[in-house]
Amino acid sequence: MTEQIDKALQREYEAGFVSDIESDTFEPGLNEDIIRRISSMKQEPEWMLEWRLKAFRNWLEMEEPDWAHVDYPKIDFQAISYYSAPKSMKDKPKSLDEVDPELLKTYEKLGIPLHEQMMLAGVAVDAVFDSVSVVTTFREKLEEAGVIFMPISEAVHKHPELVQKYLGSVVPQKDNYYAALNCAVFTDGSFVYIPKGTKCPMELSTYFRINEQNTGQFERTLIIADEGSYVSYLEGCTAPQRDENQLHAAVVELVAMDDAEIKYSTVQNWYPGDEEGRGGIYNFVTKRGLCHTNAKISWTQVETGSAVTWKYPSCVLKGDNSVGEFYSVALTRGCQQADTGTKMIHLGKNTRSTIISKGISAGRSNNSYRGLVRMNSSAKGARNFTQCDSLLIGDQCGAHTFPYVESRNPSAIVEHEATTSKVSDDQMFLCQQRGLDPEKAVSMIVNGFCKEVFKELPMEFAVEAGKLLEISLEGSVG
Amino acid sequence: MSSWLQTAVERAADVSDGLALKRQASLELLCDAKWPTRKTEAWKYVPINVWERAELSGATNDTVSAPVIDGLDSLDVVFVNGQLQSVAAESIEGLTLISLSDAGAQAADLFGTIKPDRHLFGLVNDVLATEGVVIDVAAGAEIEKPIRIVNLLGEGAEAHTRVLVRLGAGAKATVIEHYSGNSLSRNTGFAEYQVGEKAQLEHYRFALQTGEAMSIGGCHVELAEHSELNSTLVGFGSALSRIDVDVTHAGSHAFAKMNAIYLLDGKELFDLHSTIEHAVPNGTTEENVRGIVADNSRAVFNGRIHIHRDAQKTLAELNNRNLLLSDRAEINTKPELEIYADDVRCAHGATVAEIDQKALYYMQSRGVSRAQAQVMLNFGFINELVDQMPNEALAEWLRPQLRERFASMEVK
Repeated sequence: MTEQIDKALQREYEAGFVSDIESDTFEPGLNEDIIRRISSMKQEPEWMLEWRLKAFRNWLEMEEPDWAHVDYPKIDFQAISYYSAPKSMKDKPKSLDEVDPELLKTYEKLGIPLHEQMMLAGVAVDAVFDSVSVVTTFREKLEEAGVIFMPISEAVHKHPELVQKYLGSVVPQKDNYYAALNCAVFTDGSFVYIPKGTKCPMELSTYFRINEQNTGQFERTLIIADEGSYVSYLEGCTAPQRDENQLHAAVVELVAMDDAEIKYSTVQNWYPGDEEGRGGIYNFVTKRGLCHTNAKISWTQVETGSAVTWKYPSCVLKGDNSVGEFYSVALTRGCQQADTGTKMIHLGKNTRSTIISKGISAGRSNNSYRGLVRMNSSAKGARNFTQCDSLLIGDQCGAHTFPYVESRNPSAIVEHEATTSKVSDDQMFLCQQRGLDPEKAVSMIVNGFCKEVFKELPMEFAVEAGKLLEISLEGSVG
Repeated sequence: MSSWLQTAVERAADVSDGLALKRQASLELLCDAKWPTRKTEAWKYVPINVWERAELSGATNDTVSAPVIDGLDSLDVVFVNGQLQSVAAESIEGLTLISLSDAGAQAADLFGTIKPDRHLFGLVNDVLATEGVVIDVAAGAEIEKPIRIVNLLGEGAEAHTRVLVRLGAGAKATVIEHYSGNSLSRNTGFAEYQVGEKAQLEHYRFALQTGEAMSIGGCHVELAEHSELNSTLVGFGSALSRIDVDVTHAGSHAFAKMNAIYLLDGKELFDLHSTIEHAVPNGTTEENVRGIVADNSRAVFNGRIHIHRDAQKTLAELNNRNLLLSDRAEINTKPELEIYADDVRCAHGATVAEIDQKALYYMQSRGVSRAQAQVMLNFGFINELVDQMPNEALAEWLRPQLRERFASMEVK
């Protein structure tokens, strides 16, 4: 058993390779000049620069949050480079053929179906390589349906009215320390607009990847689903192996207008650091969606990477009868630390929310669920159900639950339950008795434990997530 | 340091008794500590400035007799406005009751420091408490009569009292902490319990101050191997009422059963923080907390279970259920689990809802008036825990008070 654990712990990070592409990178440091330079590199309009500078001034006055159950050395924000673009981007590729082959190879290694596979998979990918969107495929087909899917830096030019109206409307600049930082220095991300009554013809997907050493990735995603529309958005993340910690502070804003539905799925597999806890990504992400009347936002996440995770995809249920969902699997091993969960803010009448969180801790990791369910006095007849289950593998890890329940409306019903246990000996015994080896048995039990969440994922993602989990768990228990 | 504390500390500096040295040490810690604000996690929902701002006239030292509980026949220790008024004179084998002043210099060794990192007001109490009592139960002694510590608080009183209870190995005792008062006053009341090997402690804390009374206090229990704690806490809420219950499983195979009830009305506030530390293997904790919150009141519950790395085979369960009776009332609950051992079974649950409308309808259809039906349902919700109180006399004494409170609570 120990042998198996050792083997699993020593497993190398499979996505850990460095792409050899010349980059155009700013020197480390953060000040108003850097922000002006980012803005001018992107040829942004004046209002955008003003918006960034305002955020930066706010950020300077804010304090780094320390309430999360994570422990990491203080980040030196002056030691980070805030802009990095692959050089060959200067003359933008017009089609896939023009894309730097190195870049494509990187994606291939990661198994992203960017070429023909993509046609078969029917996925349009807006691939973010470090900071600049490299290529957007399937745009024409989407344009036919009236769907706007483009890098946010492009949307600033092409659809300034939408960007100006919605950027920062869900996550205000001053929302938190990292969101403020993101506002000031974000370089790129995705922008999606689904027009009224439109069902987006395919699942949209972005693959984020941090490549350049010591660069922070600050992407910004804005998705607007207009009245009665539907979109399913997939986000996958991975980063190559680096010795130094890299900062990732993204902001995702979702707006679901009346009767609209947004499904946002994430598989996050950033580099978690080595077994001693050296290196790895700091993932400090702010994700929030706003639901208008009868709208629905569903967050599904599978988190297996990052050295430190600080992430709470949330729903503000503003409109009556709106629905928020959060399905999460978070797996930590090695020295990983995750503090993740959700916030469901019920404002409208008859709003409903469901939270299903599954935490798995192995090795010497710490895995925390932190969630807030708030029923405002206006949330008549609102309903919440929360279930948090933790599974411990090994006696050196930790599993924690910090749920906040705040209720101000008597007709609102809130239920929270949480359990913690280990992989039961009985289950293991039963599986092995039926001829499964211990490794398979654990994988099967864990997969069963996470089933409720996996079934919420789109098909391709569910398969990937299951595999990811299986690999991560390899031999964790004998 | 807040201005209130500044003046209080200056007053306390003139006191020279057995605790002087210890007080000095705590004062130093207190000076370094950060005074809580609304941003401090543990004080998030408590307007601590109410405590600081209140101007107290100072209480007159009247002789007041402790409220009698029928059929209880207890050994009473009575504090009035923070001054020790009487200690039961009856001598019982195996039991010693000594006041803080009688304990003299040795008191400094007896009293611990109440976990300053977690409870700032424990430190405040360390510094300010000049009255207290030490209760010792000899090993093997079974004290039949319950020991009752009564704190009566009158208008304008500022009281800081301290209790230390030590149960020797295999000892058995019942201790009741009883706080009452409903006019403007400020008090910190902390009690430490050291429960020896195989000893059994039956514990009650009745925090029945209401109205303008402000109270911040706590119970800190340390359980040795195979010891048992059966605790019931009842809180009514007042202008500011905060209790921190800390239970540490210091010896393995200890068992802790903790029930808590809070019933709030008007503009009352009640904040209960409980922390269970499982430091060693094979401990068991069962915690059940129920609350009813009416009118404009606010309840806060924070229940933390911390399972240390070595505490394998721990069984811990925490359950918090709340009824919200008005749309101006508020419940903030946070059951926390912090687990570092894998072979454990832990669960917690929390619910917030209103009275079951179907049950109300059913009762009305059987000819029970709506108001009466509400009282019955409320009572039923709470009585489940009252029924579990081992001391029947106390349960009998409590029930009419609960009923009275329910009758005044209106469902809006």
